[in-house]
Amino acid sequence: MFEQAITAMASVMVDPHLLGLIFVTTILGVIIGVLPGLGATTGAALLLPFTLTMDPVHAIAVLATIYVSATFAGSITAILINAPGTSAAAATTFDGYPLAQKGEAGRALGVAVIASTVGGIFSVLILCFAAPLLARVAYEFRSPEYFALTVFGLSMLASISAGGAVKNLMGGIFGVWLSTIGAERVTGIERFMFGNYELYEGLHFVPIFIGLFAISELLVQSKTVDKIIKTVAMKAVKLPTMEDYKKIWKTILRSCGIGTFIGVLPAEGATVASMIGYSEARRWSKNKKEFGKGSIEGIAGAEAANNAATGGAMVPTMVLGIPGSGTTAIILVGLMVHGLRPGVYLFTEQVEKVYQIFGSMFIANVMFMLMGLYAAKLFARVSLVPTAILWPIVFALSVIGAYAFQGQLLDVWLALIFGVIGFFARRHGFSVAPIAVGLILGEMVETNLQHSLKMFDGAWWLILTQPLALMFLVFAFLGLCGPAIYSWITKHKN
Amino acid sequence: MIINNKYITPLILAVFSLIVIAIAFQLDTSPEMIVGDSMQARSFPIFLMVLNLILIVVLTFQLSKSNPKSTPLEKFPTWGSILLFVLFYLLTVYTDMFIGIFLVMFLMCRLWGEKRIWVSLLTASITPGLIFILFDFVLKIRFPRGLLTNIYYG
Repeated sequence: MFEQAITAMASVMVDPHLLGLIFVTTILGVIIGVLPGLGATTGAALLLPFTLTMDPVHAIAVLATIYVSATFAGSITAILINAPGTSAAAATTFDGYPLAQKGEAGRALGVAVIASTVGGIFSVLILCFAAPLLARVAYEFRSPEYFALTVFGLSMLASISAGGAVKNLMGGIFGVWLSTIGAERVTGIERFMFGNYELYEGLHFVPIFIGLFAISELLVQSKTVDKIIKTVAMKAVKLPTMEDYKKIWKTILRSCGIGTFIGVLPAEGATVASMIGYSEARRWSKNKKEFGKGSIEGIAGAEAANNAATGGAMVPTMVLGIPGSGTTAIILVGLMVHGLRPGVYLFTEQVEKVYQIFGSMFIANVMFMLMGLYAAKLFARVSLVPTAILWPIVFALSVIGAYAFQGQLLDVWLALIFGVIGFFARRHGFSVAPIAVGLILGEMVETNLQHSLKMFDGAWWLILTQPLALMFLVFAFLGLCGPAIYSWITKHKN
Repeated sequence: MIINNKYITPLILAVFSLIVIAIAFQLDTSPEMIVGDSMQARSFPIFLMVLNLILIVVLTFQLSKSNPKSTPLEKFPTWGSILLFVLFYLLTVYTDMFIGIFLVMFLMCRLWGEKRIWVSLLTASITPGLIFILFDFVLKIRFPRGLLTNIYYG
């Protein structure tokens, strides 16, 4: 197994086509990351249709590269213009921009680049070891365990960063309901199709995701047309000095662990990881007063954590088919579209492809480090592209991407409709990521519940007699009610 | 009866959930020999919407305890962009998808504040052109027939 993994990962290094693709995608990912509003999720949603004709490994490598490089690149604009390119880089602005204002933008970017690279590579290594182990555990899973696991995944939506717990859960339920549209899989009964037979096989993820992430973001950005961006001058990106390294190595290692762990949790992502990485860096720091005024520990804490979350989030995505974030939801769709069924079989039947994807992520981390060090200044200029030109281009890419998936105009209309739905949802404080995660998990929940009911002759409570299923359901209950119970107890104690 | 603005979202969601439940009850049922001990096709959506209604009650309770800031109405570029989507639909159905993309892109550039007409025209013409070349020649994807694509496809 180990030898097979090494061989597969090494094969990426000698595949010039794949290397070229990763190089180009890294540039694209960094550009996407520095453009405010465009982030890894929107970028992956827009690029997904372009990967349709690619080889499966190449296609997933493209999406994974976009994920890691755009997550890093958000820090460039966070430091230089105080506008995080991605939500995962929001914590970087706390200290990145103040340090840049002191005339040390190059140093701030240098720390961000190194911390992100270490975080990214650390999480890929963990992914290589943890994913097969988890796959071995998952081999024992049957329908009740999968049902409980997906319920746990959905319950974790309550704790994702944007929106409140209740709103996120409602978004998740809406997503699960969307997955019921079309013919029911066991009985073939048509549900919510209203005579539209193009929906017989259900709603396809790609146009919905393009709508929810790209079109809705377009409408959100339309509110910022008058925004004036102030930039900070930068001479060059400097590598951190030995003194800096001594100051930040512990923070980076801590954030690597935090980021990877948070990434692994279903429905959590880089944004939560960076916030916790930042606050833990502050808690453990000897120079707490520097935080908020340009602390390099703050930058390193946030950046190492958000990039470490990328590898972590790929673990449940590839092993269990449960996305760890909005972007991994799109990568999951990419896997399905290309016939790579996420789950145990991916690690037994197509293990070579899995390690090639991991190898691609490793190379992408190295490539964005080089780009961050040598071309950050150039990339930062991209963020100054006027929104009045950028977003009409996103519109064109969105509608053609939605059409290209199946060659159906209905998909274009669905993308536009879900774009407007996503916009109004966000306007009223609902996040769109739970809808996407719910849509993906919906079929899994229903099918596994049906199978479980058949297994136990309709006695649903027997699901609780399965130890692993019970464990996941207890986790789900604690995830949902834990914070409320805890605050009730502390309130009554006081 | 006047409903406070902050309760409009839960109200809309509750109406939506009830409509879904009502439609779900109209769905066909399948014979016992097919479904067996499992559930009917209607059961799962109904279960979801009941859960949603419970969450709506919790949300309404939360809203009653708080006083959320009212979101100001969006400016013209936002509503204009949504109207441009409608225009895109009409142009695609009655003329050609690429005419739709060109016109909507051009108008969107102008609507979002691009003052130079030539920049808007160039953006609106080059982007769909490049995308067409990429999808048609490289990805071999055929676009829907219309005034322009009919000339190309023959």
